Amino acid sequence: MAASGAEVLPGRREGGGGEAAVLRGTRGRCWRSRSKAASCLSIPSRRDNAKLVSCGGDRQLFYWDVSSGRVIRKFRGHDSEVNSVKFNEYNSVVVSAGYDRSVRAFDCRSQSAEPIQIVDSFQDSVMSVILTKTEIIAGSVDGTVRTFDIRMGREVVDNLGHPVNCISLSNDGNCILAGCLDSTLRLLDRSTGELLQEYKGHTCKSFKMDCCLTNTDAHVVSGSEDGFIFFWDLVDASVVSSFRAHSSVVTSVSYHPKDACMLTSSVDGTVRVWKQ
Amino acid sequence: MDEGDEDYVVYGTPIEREEETSARKRRAIADAGQLRALPPWKQEVRDEEGRRRFHGAFTGGFSAGYYNTAGSKEGWTPQTFTSSRKNRADVKQQSIYNFLDEDDIKDMGGRALETSMQFDTFGFTAAELARKEAEKEQEKRPSAIPGPVPDEIVRPAANSIGIKLLMKMGWRQGRSIKDTHADSLYESRREARKAFLAFSRDKDGPELAEIESSRSESEKYPERSDDIFGGTKSTPVYVLNPKQDLHGLGYDPFKHAPEFRDRKRSRESRDKDRGNNKRKYAPGFGIGALEELDIEDEDIYASGFDFEQMEVEEVEPTKMIGDSWHKLVDRKRGSMLSFKVASNSDYVLERFRPPVIPADFESRHKFPTTLESTNKFPELPPPEVPPPEDNNLRLLIEGSAAMVARCGKSIEDLYKEKSKTNQLFLFLSGGEGHNYYERKLWEQKQKRGDLGRQNNTKSMKSSDEKMNAENRGKVLGERPLDRSSKASSLSVDVKEVIHLQSNLGDTFIKPVGLSESLKPFKYDPAKQERFEQFLREKYHGGLRAAQPFITNIMSETDRARERLDFEAAAEAIEKGTWSKEKETDPLSILKDLPFINDQRFVSSTEVEKHGVSKDEQKVIHPKREEFEWRPSPILCKRFDLIDPFMGKLPPVQRPRSRMDSLIFMTETIKSSKSEEAIASTRDSILLSHSESKETEKQLITQETDAEPIAADVQRPVDLYKAIFSDDSDDDDADEGNSGHSTDPVKTNEGANMTLNRLVAGDFLESLGKELGLEVPTDKPGPPDKPPNSILVEAASKGDINSSSVHEKLTSQHEEFDRPMEEKHKDNISKSADNVVTNLSINQNEESKPHSRHQRSRSRTPDSDSSDDYRDKKRKTHSRRRRSRSPSTDSSSDRHRSKRNRSKATHRKRGTTDTDSSSDHLYRDRSKSEGKSRKRSRHHKHRRKDGHKNR
Repeated sequence: MAASGAEVLPGRREGGGGEAAVLRGTRGRCWRSRSKAASCLSIPSRRDNAKLVSCGGDRQLFYWDVSSGRVIRKFRGHDSEVNSVKFNEYNSVVVSAGYDRSVRAFDCRSQSAEPIQIVDSFQDSVMSVILTKTEIIAGSVDGTVRTFDIRMGREVVDNLGHPVNCISLSNDGNCILAGCLDSTLRLLDRSTGELLQEYKGHTCKSFKMDCCLTNTDAHVVSGSEDGFIFFWDLVDASVVSSFRAHSSVVTSVSYHPKDACMLTSSVDGTVRVWKQ
Repeated sequence: MDEGDEDYVVYGTPIEREEETSARKRRAIADAGQLRALPPWKQEVRDEEGRRRFHGAFTGGFSAGYYNTAGSKEGWTPQTFTSSRKNRADVKQQSIYNFLDEDDIKDMGGRALETSMQFDTFGFTAAELARKEAEKEQEKRPSAIPGPVPDEIVRPAANSIGIKLLMKMGWRQGRSIKDTHADSLYESRREARKAFLAFSRDKDGPELAEIESSRSESEKYPERSDDIFGGTKSTPVYVLNPKQDLHGLGYDPFKHAPEFRDRKRSRESRDKDRGNNKRKYAPGFGIGALEELDIEDEDIYASGFDFEQMEVEEVEPTKMIGDSWHKLVDRKRGSMLSFKVASNSDYVLERFRPPVIPADFESRHKFPTTLESTNKFPELPPPEVPPPEDNNLRLLIEGSAAMVARCGKSIEDLYKEKSKTNQLFLFLSGGEGHNYYERKLWEQKQKRGDLGRQNNTKSMKSSDEKMNAENRGKVLGERPLDRSSKASSLSVDVKEVIHLQSNLGDTFIKPVGLSESLKPFKYDPAKQERFEQFLREKYHGGLRAAQPFITNIMSETDRARERLDFEAAAEAIEKGTWSKEKETDPLSILKDLPFINDQRFVSSTEVEKHGVSKDEQKVIHPKREEFEWRPSPILCKRFDLIDPFMGKLPPVQRPRSRMDSLIFMTETIKSSKSEEAIASTRDSILLSHSESKETEKQLITQETDAEPIAADVQRPVDLYKAIFSDDSDDDDADEGNSGHSTDPVKTNEGANMTLNRLVAGDFLESLGKELGLEVPTDKPGPPDKPPNSILVEAASKGDINSSSVHEKLTSQHEEFDRPMEEKHKDNISKSADNVVTNLSINQNEESKPHSRHQRSRSRTPDSDSSDDYRDKKRKTHSRRRRSRSPSTDSSSDRHRSKRNRSKATHRKRGTTDTDSSSDHLYRDRSKSEGKSRKRSRHHKHRRKDGHKNR
């Protein structure tokens, strides 16, 4: 966790209590997987929280069973560090983004550890991946946000011109928030690729950090390298609030999909739960 | 039945007489009126549809069915055939009714379809029938007016308006109009009267008796009255009985002896019958012109006829009596009750008072500011005041004075309000420099007043109107007329008018030549120009040019987006100028504008502008590009989506196995070498072809590759084809070109076998041995030569006939396949082009090109189990395509066979002796190519021979 920071599980459906439980479990797993992996970068879980998948610097994905705490499967295929991993809607596919400039999809249902799809049209490390029902969206250091529409068989490339650190989807699914390494968050319209707004004020220059939108889509949240957390108004891009949350770089920010509840993690080794 | 029967209760089933129930009979009776008019020998026997059935012995006799043939025009209705295999139970039982006429059916049991009165819900049909019946009767009745009755001549075309209205109100045909309420009212009244009578019985006896009688009378028909007015039956059409006797009006001779009435009627009717046809004479026997109707001619057998007729006639009068009775009764009690003069009417003519005009109302409208400004000059000018020391303040005062003068008092009020908070505007409400402000304001107003008067005389507009228009222009945000030019030139001349005109034209345009800070598209002069154009268009009003911008450069979507940008920018500018006018502070615009822009985050240009004004740094727009991307079928399946590329041509797989890549490598090297060598010749060939496709190129390359060095690689494939595919081709051809695909099982087996031998290395020898053929290893087979011909040649040397036949068959086959092939090739080349362009774009952007990226854009390493043979086959062409999802391979068998064939075609194209230019080229080339060439030419000659032989 110390190296690149941990991404905390996004808030789950069960609410606050279940969240904390999952969080604890996650951390436990993290430590365990650390014995195998150099670092643990991303641990999303399935929607039913029964399984989770972790990725890290050892070029593998670990597919965990939450209740027993054992690794069900390891997915290999990445040539270097894996930056981000996500489940799809039906929990049948794990899509990972790696430093090897590729996005790979693994089939959770088959016994094969080989990827079922490799997308290597990126020109630099892929930092973040998100999945919708029909699309794979990935942000890369080459400054592009690529949307792979499985239904259409199209690849849509939005070139932002700045290395994309993190992407996150708005709750209505119409916008992508892309955290760029020039200390700017950019809000893109997914349908047209238009740049809707830019959010500035925080520092994000060298760390893999997260940004997200609040559950109501009214504000944009991001951490900063000085341990601050920034809230912007979605529409006017004015900093609504900023406060010191951690003593060091805030690596991950995650908002509960339904409630006003937020999790932040930091390089200082703390994970904080913020509630109203 | 009769009306009279309604009063009685009938027990048991009445015995129905045959004559009465039979429909035909009844109708015959109805028609009797017509028939009766004719003498019997002219009367005809018809069936119920009015068809003549008896034609007489000499004119056809009895006729039945459709012209004595079948049941209808269409003949006997055929039974629809149903296979008894599936539904044996459904086989219909034939009955006698299937073969009977409708008449017969009716006679036998009356099962024929008839309209039933049962479902006559609204009584339309019944009412219609009743009306018709009544009309018919009326016709029969002697009318009071001799000649045609007027309403027989004049008939309403449709329902009268009254009927329509009634229908709208819910009345239905066959119902009475009167509501039951009146009835109940009547009943209650009668009850009340009864009660009253019971009290006053003793007092007035005779009166009581009278009332009693009327009561009993009315009580005689209580049910009937209910029936009539109860809402179920319609009001009957009264058939008026014309007075025919010599009695006085209203005198009824049978008043006290009603039993005689019937008798008299029957007698009358009988007399009438006599009058119609005086005597009965037997039908069928005519009487001559000179003959007189005798007693001998009388029909002594026609006895029942009379009786029936009487029966019909007899029914009517009784009914008529009843009707008249009811009418009488009705008049007696109902009519007076249902209509009476209302004591108080609801209808009051309402009158409205005229509106009250307030006392302070003035009929003329006053415009608060403009008139004031015109009226203001007579007032005393404020004294001349030296301007304040502060230069800024002076400017501010002058500016605001000009503004107030231009826009009127309202803006001054606004400023005054502002001044409460802002120290800068204190001069408005009596602070420092107030006097100077007053003076300036007056000056400005005077200037404007002069101008107004001047305009007044010039443009022949009334002062009011002018000011109104100006005011309105202000409201609409129009630019006021250029003051400077007019203020200086006070002289009235024609030029000035023209100038004014042009200025007026400018007035209705937004201030386009704004300060530099308001140019939102500074960075792009072309765009800025378009924007200004847009602004002009926007505020110009009236008709616009159909093509406002240069359209050929921009795409539709770009234009739309730009237009949106322009709208946003224009709005922002408008806001900016307004704020400027309000505050008169040029700096505030700059302060305001970014704020406005911040709010309007929707437009990308706004954001960019914001960036320009703030950071002075270049902001990169997000660029959007689209490529084709091929998800693997398994991914689609896992995402629960339909594969978008399902059924489409699968991309070519990159080589998988080691051996494969080995062969592939050699091929690539060779091809690249030879490609350059033959490039010049090939180009000309390609030009000669209508479509110079990439695949074709590759095919040709492959052809040319199959030269001495390449032969050892190429050979086994050719041999394989010679052995298998062309055999099957032959088979196909023998079968008559019906199935033109090779047997997949066979080819697969063959593929494995061939490849095994390839691995062994000495494939040629082994193959030669296996086949028992003499295959020259040092002299490779000609590339242009069709492989089958090698085989054939080897198998039966010198047998011209067999080989020619063989070739004929294959060439036929070829031609059959060609169009499909070409389509196929089109597809391939298109997709290949796509990928190539994508690649080039990426490479341009790439700082350091990754070889992996070049190799394959998206590949799905799924299973290496795909048979190597196929890769081997495919390696020869389309190696440019780089993305491939392997699991679609199973579906590509067909393509493979096609591709085989296409190869064969190309190879053969060189040998077929058509007159095409390409063929010549091939031939020319073949001359310079050693022994193998010779062989091929040899073949050509043979083929020619074969053609000649044919």
